[in-house]
Amino acid sequence: MQSNQYSVKVFECSIDNEDEFIEFFDTNYTLFKDHLIVINGEISERIMDYLNYKSLVFANNLKLPKGRTRRALEEELLAERREYNIDRFLAQMEIEKLSNRLQNNLRVYNEIIRSGRELNIDGDLLLLNRVNSGANIYVSGNFIAIKLVEGFVWCNGNFMILSASSKATIIFKGVELDNSYLKGKLNRVEYKNQEIVITPVFEKEISWV
Amino acid sequence: MGLGIVIAVISGKGGVGKTTAVANLGLGIAMNGKSCAVVDFDIGQRNLDMILGLENRVVYDIVQVMNGKATLQQALIKSKVEDNLRFLAASQIDDKRVLNSQKVKKLIDELRAKFEYVLLDSPAGIESGFEHTIEFADAAIIVVNPEVSSIRDADKAIGILDSKSQKVKEGGEVGKYLIINRIVPDMVQSGEMLKSEDILDILNIGLIGKIPEDSGVIDASNQGKPVILDKNSEAGQAYKRISARLCGKKVDMKDVESADTSLFKKLAGIFK
Repeated sequence: MQSNQYSVKVFECSIDNEDEFIEFFDTNYTLFKDHLIVINGEISERIMDYLNYKSLVFANNLKLPKGRTRRALEEELLAERREYNIDRFLAQMEIEKLSNRLQNNLRVYNEIIRSGRELNIDGDLLLLNRVNSGANIYVSGNFIAIKLVEGFVWCNGNFMILSASSKATIIFKGVELDNSYLKGKLNRVEYKNQEIVITPVFEKEISWV
Repeated sequence: MGLGIVIAVISGKGGVGKTTAVANLGLGIAMNGKSCAVVDFDIGQRNLDMILGLENRVVYDIVQVMNGKATLQQALIKSKVEDNLRFLAASQIDDKRVLNSQKVKKLIDELRAKFEYVLLDSPAGIESGFEHTIEFADAAIIVVNPEVSSIRDADKAIGILDSKSQKVKEGGEVGKYLIINRIVPDMVQSGEMLKSEDILDILNIGLIGKIPEDSGVIDASNQGKPVILDKNSEAGQAYKRISARLCGKKVDMKDVESADTSLFKKLAGIFK
């Protein structure tokens, strides 16, 4: 398909007095000869002949899409910008809350969490070693495990970062996760807009550890 | 004589070959010229005496020594095959509730002063008997089979070892050495059995030896002649290597997992 776009100037009118119309166009011909003349209402034969004689382009009863005024556009833009600012403000608040919590009661364990061990953590938990099958972990805050998780994890924080084998049971915000999404590399599990979102974390991104 | 090293042999799960390992390693250490005592801590379920072939020699047992009814000297039984090896039997009548920390400590200190190596055969499970075995040990040998249930139980046992051992409570660390027992090379190759690397990954302790499955082990145990005495046995050779390592010798780790599937072995099988 080949297409072209034009901006066309339109002269829109309705005819009450034919003499007046013809007189107007006689005097202003040069001004309107390149306009599209849109006439609402009936067009009499006399007017039709006149338009053809003057070789003017015209259309009858055409509904044209009308652009909004500049003022309306500006107002809309302003409202959009205001909304965006509020969003950004909220996001910043969330991040601040998160980082405060991370710094306030983060627990770090270096050792393997072996079978039969139970951790009850009020706050955030960072594990630098494995969680073996048969170990239970309950975290009220966020949970990060650098190595493989094969045990039971119950997390009620805003996010988790972990990789889990099929043996593991991972419960996030009261929902048991499908482990097939957590295999292999580290994954980020977040609670966003009433939904649990799982995204893989790339090796490069964990440099903050 | 200086202070010897006390090694608890544990597994978590039962039936993985703990007692067999104690008998063989005790003999192996003695063969390396070190004085060694093997002690059956499985009170109420004595069986190390049978595997060592010393069933009929037992007069006094560990409970009688701890209660002062017999001296340690009286209760220690000399091995028929190795002069360096002594054996202390468990009681078959009492149960493990008779043990308490003070008595166990006194006995172990006494053994430590007499021998260069003391091997304690722990009962299976993680009850009080197990806890008494590990309480005063300097190191532990963990015996596992390449299967998930054995690994998980061993994992739990290591966890208890790390929290209940006297040495850890004093701020030290208990040496932990892993023996993977009853490896069937074909099954490891086909993926039915856990690989050593995976087991080491899960348990995160040092490996001291791998022992292949060997049908000769059961017969040897029944006859009271530990398999380490059999020069043709694969398992016996593996125990020999582990014993040498325990005595501070550098012995290369043999790849028992792929040994059986070598071309020569297969060819030999055809012409049998």
